[in-house]
Amino acid sequence: MKRMLIVAGTLVLGAGAVMAQQEVAVQQDNLMRSQAKSLYTVILKMTKGDIPYNQKAVDEAIAHLEADVAKIAKTFEVNPKQDVVNATYGASPKVWQNKADFDSKIPPVQKAIADVKGKIHDVASLKAAYTAINDRCTDCHETYRLKLK
Amino acid sequence: MLRQTILAALIAAVAAFGVYWWLTAPTALALPAPTRGPDLANGQELFNAGGCSSCHAVPNQPDRLKLGGGLALGSPFGTFYAPNISPDPTDGIGRWSEAEFVNAVMHGISPEGTHYFPAFPYTSYHIAKVDDVRDLFAYLKTLPPVSGRVRDHDLPFPFNIRRNVGIWKLLFMDVRPFVPAAAHSPQWNRGAYLVNGFGHCAECHSPRNLLGGIIASQRFAGGPNPEGEGWVPNITQKGIGDWSEKDIADFLETGDMPEGDSASGAMRPVIKNLAQLKPDDRAAMAAYLKSLPPVDGPTPPKRKEAGG
Repeated sequence: MKRMLIVAGTLVLGAGAVMAQQEVAVQQDNLMRSQAKSLYTVILKMTKGDIPYNQKAVDEAIAHLEADVAKIAKTFEVNPKQDVVNATYGASPKVWQNKADFDSKIPPVQKAIADVKGKIHDVASLKAAYTAINDRCTDCHETYRLKLK
Repeated sequence: MLRQTILAALIAAVAAFGVYWWLTAPTALALPAPTRGPDLANGQELFNAGGCSSCHAVPNQPDRLKLGGGLALGSPFGTFYAPNISPDPTDGIGRWSEAEFVNAVMHGISPEGTHYFPAFPYTSYHIAKVDDVRDLFAYLKTLPPVSGRVRDHDLPFPFNIRRNVGIWKLLFMDVRPFVPAAAHSPQWNRGAYLVNGFGHCAECHSPRNLLGGIIASQRFAGGPNPEGEGWVPNITQKGIGDWSEKDIADFLETGDMPEGDSASGAMRPVIKNLAQLKPDDRAAMAAYLKSLPPVDGPTPPKRKEAGG
């Protein structure tokens, strides 16, 4: 009986650990998705004229982006060692092999955001801001983001 | 009896070696005389279409025109190190003749008369027009010389035997020249030329067999990243059927995808090169890519649950 309890307990703990890992991966994925929403679903679409220019939406997107980017280092502290189920993109294991280098890519993104904050007033300045920010995002994605399928 | 057997075996071995030697002999071609002077602007365009700097620029520094080489390129067969192709006379290609350059790019044969490994995508470049390759050579000569010889490739036996590449070329290298398709527009043909030639898109965007040859029936249908990590997407209409021609052309310029994302991984440096192209050339590539019939590629593996 005791033995069964231990076995059952271990199984529950093991399952819990797997769940926790998946949870970490999902949190990381959600954080990146939230940034993608600000940068691509709002800002990029506006630069292309897919949606009309809207000052309030731009300011909000930049504010969200700023808040999200500040969370990257902490959210990616732990290696979940797995990808989100059915994800198309994931984090490369290199993130945790070179965590210091990974983290060093974040301040340039923050600087790019700070540089344009409050200075976007029309589609032209939004375009310039988009490129400046996205180039810094991709500096990191070039090495640390993986396409999975 | 024994002596006879040994003799027969020896003769067979010598004959086999002879056949091997003949099959694997690199044959450099003589170059026809140029019909015009070099066009540096065209050379630059093809330099960007060919993505030369993605592999040959010195890694971890911002100048994409410093072609001192050194980038490590992983593969299932070992690690390749991109050589110095700056005009440095001792460490780069400063002393190469035009014919040597054309043979290197189009036939994968070095000035010393040895085979290059197909990590250098001459398998695509061979359809280039000789005059275009001449222009590229002239353009490369205008770039700054970078000193420093790059280390040798790190390949285990038998992949390190360059002669074997001769057999590989016979098996997997299509040597037919580029013939424009009369049924298609000049724009489409320009795109086909750039995508299949200098652009060498199929080299990463196609699955390969055990010996590293492209599986022709699944050309452009994506597959595992040859460098080991992740997946290269299907760029036939199976994969990007939702993208309009303009979406593709925009993507080639900015890396921005219509679904609201941006290119990452090894495609990022490719975009940096393609962004420099004339808009017409990107539009031509898009027109050709949009015309690729949908083809199913290999299925991405279920990723391991743990271990990273």
